Amino acid sequence: MQFGRGKPAAGAFFDSDFQTVDSLLAVALLHGLQGKSECRVAIVTVSRNSLKVAGYVDMVERFYRGPAAVFAQVPPPGMITTGDGGVVSPGLTEPFAKKKADGSPLFVNRVARVLDTGDPSTLIRNYLQAQYEKSSYFVLAGRATNLAAALDFKGVKDLLKERSSHLVIAGVESFSADPAAARKVLAEWPTPVTFVPGEVGKAIPFPASAVEKDFPANTPDHPVAAAYAAWQAMPYAAPTTALAAALYATRQKETYFKAETGTVLVGADGKVSFVASASGKHTQLSVDPAQRDKVLAAYVELATAKVVPPQRFRPAAADAAKPPADPVKFPPKP
Amino acid sequence: MIMKKALPRRAFLRGVGTAAIGLPFLEAMAPAMTPAAKAPVRMAFFYVPNGMMMDSWNPTYEGKLTEMPRILKPLEPFKDDILHIGNLTHNTGRALLDGAGDHGRCSGSYLTGVQVKKSLVEIKNGVSFDQIVANKIGKDTRFPSMELGMEDARQAGDCDSGYSCAYTNNLAWRSETQPLPPVLDPRALFERMFGSGQPMTPEEKSRQSKYRRSILDFVTDDTHKLQATLGPTDRRKLDEYLSSIREVERQIERAEKDNAQIDPKMDKPYGVPADFAEHFKMMSNMMAIAFQADQTRIITFLMTREGSSRPYRELGIPDGHHPLTHHRNQADLMEKVRLINTYHIQQFAGFVEKMKTTQEGDGSLLDNCMLIYGAGLSDPNAHLHEDLPTIMVGKGGNYFKTGRRVMARRETPMCNLFLTMMDRMGAPVDDFGDANGRLAGMDLPGLELA
Repeated sequence: MQFGRGKPAAGAFFDSDFQTVDSLLAVALLHGLQGKSECRVAIVTVSRNSLKVAGYVDMVERFYRGPAAVFAQVPPPGMITTGDGGVVSPGLTEPFAKKKADGSPLFVNRVARVLDTGDPSTLIRNYLQAQYEKSSYFVLAGRATNLAAALDFKGVKDLLKERSSHLVIAGVESFSADPAAARKVLAEWPTPVTFVPGEVGKAIPFPASAVEKDFPANTPDHPVAAAYAAWQAMPYAAPTTALAAALYATRQKETYFKAETGTVLVGADGKVSFVASASGKHTQLSVDPAQRDKVLAAYVELATAKVVPPQRFRPAAADAAKPPADPVKFPPKP
Repeated sequence: MIMKKALPRRAFLRGVGTAAIGLPFLEAMAPAMTPAAKAPVRMAFFYVPNGMMMDSWNPTYEGKLTEMPRILKPLEPFKDDILHIGNLTHNTGRALLDGAGDHGRCSGSYLTGVQVKKSLVEIKNGVSFDQIVANKIGKDTRFPSMELGMEDARQAGDCDSGYSCAYTNNLAWRSETQPLPPVLDPRALFERMFGSGQPMTPEEKSRQSKYRRSILDFVTDDTHKLQATLGPTDRRKLDEYLSSIREVERQIERAEKDNAQIDPKMDKPYGVPADFAEHFKMMSNMMAIAFQADQTRIITFLMTREGSSRPYRELGIPDGHHPLTHHRNQADLMEKVRLINTYHIQQFAGFVEKMKTTQEGDGSLLDNCMLIYGAGLSDPNAHLHEDLPTIMVGKGGNYFKTGRRVMARRETPMCNLFLTMMDRMGAPVDDFGDANGRLAGMDLPGLELA
């Protein structure tokens, strides 16, 4: 959160219940984009009351932030503390059973209780305060409970208007699991909202070969690859709705998808529909067959990219080796 | 003034001139007080700069405090009176979009919970919560609040990367633009508390001191009259109290004498002793008296200013405090910072002992206090603003379950603690700073403050 040398890349806020494996891939993709300085992953919040999920998310964030964590605080995983956590995929727990050659755990879970997590709304507020004007965006992949709560948290709506540019919602199945929250976010979110229907994810599935070859080739012992492999029996190709949302949210200028203006509706039964209209306040994406290969290549390249810890904005690496100059000037003599 | 039935809580021993000495809580006052006859709750903040060596501050366990961490060892005799709170955060101390200047921000926002404006001229902060409390209850005491310190109190100039010294050198803010500079000089504080007329030059003070009698001499008549009406317990309490005032007087006189011998041109107020520990002892003795006599219920104390580069030669450390804290994980530098951190706590422990051994009602003065000791940074090497080193000493009127290490949820705003303290001080507000609730009452495991 220390910036001093120019304006950094836009901050990415990712919220998910991590019910589907593409949510993990989306986190990996955002970090891949961060490695190319196209965004900065601000925080990841969990919309499920599950320490297991929060523990996995925290571990992945630490994995990506690496040694830079000394100077760039690793925010705690935001986690909702109400509701039923539900069944947690083995993909989120089995990686912790992996061992190094010396028998020590390959990945360490530091989340043992609620106190090890943060309140999602507070985190969203705090990290929005660190964003420049219109220089952040949100990706939602799961139930909208956290984002709906944040809208009612003091100051957040104004901060969103000022500091955030857009929200992209991945239409994964659980998006409407909290229909009231989904409707609230669709109605009140103060920036443009784009919806990525599940069909987009199904049309361009993530290849198992990328998990088996690309991940280990770039980064051995990758926690997202481990989770993918444990999610269900390999090989399988997972839908990529959350990946599409994260990619579109970050590379807004690319023509990866077709876009249509209209209104996204959430029925009383939780069913999501889209009504096209020029006056609608939402945008819905669809697959552009001509871009399919390009999109898939971007998914694989970015999600499996070699891990590049976030760069410090001050001091530069070359300066870090020198004894630090005392930033506190002595008070002037009277 | 002497009453046969009951003494009012705000009775004074008055003498000639402006001399006036408030009284401690005496049994003879009980009938005059509310039916509950409860002593008031007081709060004080002891701010230390440049963060803390957290590896020697945080216990490795939670729950009942047993063996204290190295820095806190001097407080071990009082561990049952301590609430060691983990994970409190001041987001407003972070850079947000303002770049360098963590020291300027963290002290400026410490009690306000507001992101201060980065400027040397256009000072802008918020009202600190101690002043919100002072506005509400300050009318009940002679001084609504006291602002004290031990180092540099200048208000202008650049003290950190474009942040005015007003942010680093003050804790209390009466308004967005008006800080309340701390009193550094023990003599000035003494005279403020007990009265002595107009400010004088050092020469005038020196001349006067030749003929000076104790402030107690001016109130002898009143003292004798009062003593005659008191029971043995109250009489002993009054004797101890007046003795402590006399002791402070002697300390100040000694310091003034020593200062004159050491360096008459020293760049310090006349009555400020050269010795750090002695200076702290004088100031803290007067704080204890101020609380004991209910002269004030709110004190903010800036041990040294944020970003201070004071050397600690008394510990064999000629290096400046702040440069040392950027230790780059060098063991020798880290050790020096630990020694400084511990030295500060040693001074504070002396004050805690004084509070603990001062009887009030059925318990101690400490029981009715909330003494917060802490810093606006945790790891100073990385300038972190989360898990700020924070202990509360005292039970806040036998309210807090002390003797424990408790953890708040990560990123819990420090302002949550302030909201809770405002409740205890009888000045509740709905919201403050960036709080997201009160600390007490959060239904989270491990955090049952009350």
